[in-house]
Amino acid sequence: MRLTLRALISHGRVARKMGLGPESRINMLRNILTGLVRHERIETTTARADEVRFYAEKLVDYAKRGDTDEKAMKMASFWLTEKDLVPKLFNVLAPRFETHSKGYTRMARLPNRENLDRAKMAVLEYKGNPFPPLYPVKKDNELTLINQLLRGYREDRAQQLATKA
Amino acid sequence: MVFWACGCVSLGPGFASAAAAAAAARPSVAEVRSQRNAVFSREQARQRALYPRIEKIEVSMQGPGLDGTLLVMNRGMSTPLSCARHLTEYHVNNSVLALVDGEPWPLHQPLTDSCSMTLLTFKDSDPTLANQAYWRSCAALLGQVLQTAFKDDYTVELLSTPEVPVTSGAFCCDVALDPQLDSWTPSEESLRSLTKGAQQLIHKDLPWEPLEVAPSVALEVFSHSRCKQEEVEEKAAQHPKGRVTLYRCGDHVLLSAGPLVARTGLCSQYEVTALHSLGQGPWGLHRRAQGLSLPLQLQAHHTVWRKLRQRAEKLVEVSRLEEAAPPSPPDSTPPPTSQ
Repeated sequence: MRLTLRALISHGRVARKMGLGPESRINMLRNILTGLVRHERIETTTARADEVRFYAEKLVDYAKRGDTDEKAMKMASFWLTEKDLVPKLFNVLAPRFETHSKGYTRMARLPNRENLDRAKMAVLEYKGNPFPPLYPVKKDNELTLINQLLRGYREDRAQQLATKA
Repeated sequence: MVFWACGCVSLGPGFASAAAAAAAARPSVAEVRSQRNAVFSREQARQRALYPRIEKIEVSMQGPGLDGTLLVMNRGMSTPLSCARHLTEYHVNNSVLALVDGEPWPLHQPLTDSCSMTLLTFKDSDPTLANQAYWRSCAALLGQVLQTAFKDDYTVELLSTPEVPVTSGAFCCDVALDPQLDSWTPSEESLRSLTKGAQQLIHKDLPWEPLEVAPSVALEVFSHSRCKQEEVEEKAAQHPKGRVTLYRCGDHVLLSAGPLVARTGLCSQYEVTALHSLGQGPWGLHRRAQGLSLPLQLQAHHTVWRKLRQRAEKLVEVSRLEEAAPPSPPDSTPPPTSQ
């Protein structure tokens, strides 16, 4: 049994390697996260979007503490490279997610990149953004025969309940 | 009490002699039917003979994926259905009605002039016309079933089918039965056998052949029925050109207010839900037969169907106000005071 091969095969290792090393990885994620906070919906490779998701949600959790909090301000100023986004984080994103306990971001797959690398792409967004939805809701045609019959049925029931009450 | 398409309403023996005497005075149902059929076929042949040579017309199709397709068809012979046959099988199976120059046109009626045509289906963005035509056709089918369901001893007078909106939950067919059946209320079994009769007609996939005729021909067709003749006169008065449209399905000729659907095979879930008595009218005890149906392309799950069917058993009230006044809400509870 050759033991050296185990070091090469990543048995159960979940931490991703990105860029040139751990510091490069953090810098790269910082840039992506800044872009996410600025634009609220970005397209990147699937692996990077998945990594950023964790940090994006943690950042919002810190922002919920309020901008008077020392630690929260330090985190925000570290992670956001463009400093005009720090007020946006505390005044726009944090109040938006007050009622949510977790799950501030949404990720969806995209078709692979057109380049030679054919990389797996994904779109990452903060929920509640002003753009049209990623999964558009297809509404049934109200005027088809069966929908008209059901409408009549619903009105009938409502009338019955109204007269009973 | 079980009755069937050939008619076997078995009431007590006391009725037999009276019924027989009455039947002897009237022409039998089969005779009436064959006479109407003969007049219809004669008129149809005469109208076809108006175009002895083949003349070509240009039909431009409108619709999704078809805009501007030009078809060269025969005048007086080609129908919108033949235009659909030139397109695809989907168009043949799913077209319900045609819109010729903005006018609703039954699929089996021959085209007379170059025009622009749209084929309507049940799944368009605005299927209102198709829905109304379907509702009318289901009511006509119900009328046909009622006409053929009873034994020859009992007369069945089909009164004019009221125009009911789809939201009311059921289509109705007004009928005045023989005075001997005044005390008869249909049981579940009888309604089920009526449904079976209708399902048989649907299974045969008979086309509804339209024919636009002058009122005199229509009066001749319905020469045995005074009620129908009055209806013909009413319809002729309402029509802009004074013509009356007759439809034939199988061997039953009927009158209709508007265009009907192409064929009986388009209905799939069809049930006769109730037969209500509305009180005495000029032709006898006025009864309203109600039913519920859905087309082949829009079938409902059985849970939904059960709920809709339960609602269809309630009496649908049609206000007698003509000229596009919306009918009162179809409910046994008094309608709320609106306006």
